[in-house]
Amino acid sequence: MAAHNEEHYPHPTPKQYVQIAVFLGALTALEVGLYYLEIGVDSIDTAVTAPMLILLALIKFLVVVAWYMHLRFEKPLLSKFFTGGAILALVLYSATLIFLGAIAVGV
Amino acid sequence: MADTAHINTDDHEVDSGHGEHESTGIENRKLGMWVFLSSEFMFFGALISNYLLFKGRDFTGFSGITLIYPRELYDIPFTSISSFVLLMSSLTMVLAHDALVSGDQNRTRVWIAATGMLGMVFIGGQFFEFTEFIHAGMTISSNPAASAFYMLTGFHGAHVFLGIVMLMSLWGISRRQGGLTEEQGLNLELVGLYWHFVDIIWIVIFTIVYLIP
Repeated sequence: MAAHNEEHYPHPTPKQYVQIAVFLGALTALEVGLYYLEIGVDSIDTAVTAPMLILLALIKFLVVVAWYMHLRFEKPLLSKFFTGGAILALVLYSATLIFLGAIAVGV
Repeated sequence: MADTAHINTDDHEVDSGHGEHESTGIENRKLGMWVFLSSEFMFFGALISNYLLFKGRDFTGFSGITLIYPRELYDIPFTSISSFVLLMSSLTMVLAHDALVSGDQNRTRVWIAATGMLGMVFIGGQFFEFTEFIHAGMTISSNPAASAFYMLTGFHGAHVFLGIVMLMSLWGISRRQGGLTEEQGLNLELVGLYWHFVDIIWIVIFTIVYLIP
């Protein structure tokens, strides 16, 4: 494929892709488990589960980007573009939501 | 490749066998796709922010408002399965790309078709979810929280649908020609990037919209 000229590291094998998928599936199951802990009879505080859910989502996000989208094998310029867009959106919308009062910040 | 002619100019390099490379050494179309995906963060960021802004608001006392909120209607086991299906479609997508790199055109077609079908299952699930919500009385015009929910998940679904159309086009081309050419192989890689991006956006939506109160 055309992109091969640009890629200098060996890509994962199909077996490794499946292992990554199993890992992602396990993280999803963990997320759903946390959700039920949150709403269950012996519920735990959202202040505990929400950061854990965000952390799990972040791990899944990074695994897909790095391994399935092959960003860790690509030239750094592509990482800069991609993370630049993600960080810009995160900062802009976080600031907007804080300003509009949709996200509570400790005062 | 041995049969590829390289033409160097002052400001860019042209690889006549593989398409045009700028001085970055990255395929122009591939670079364009990454820049496009980067800009999509702003698009989905706006929709997610819109949802977060309205999801907890109390609309009691406003005229013309139906007080039924998305959170009251979520079916988490069902949405979890949908999320898992979309996640697995990312696996079949990379397996399609891997099969093409290995030169196995038949296996490439099988994995492309599998990815498209998993995408259809996801879209079908979303259609079912929307139908259930509407039957329960929550329409797009019920209240701002419902509007924000339908806008966010609806636009994501539209992205999945577009991905399915692109995948099925590549599948059709491959079937008609007996395989994808090198140039079309790059198209598969670009569609793959788009597909994985749609998946990571759903990872965020699933957590922020469905799982976190």
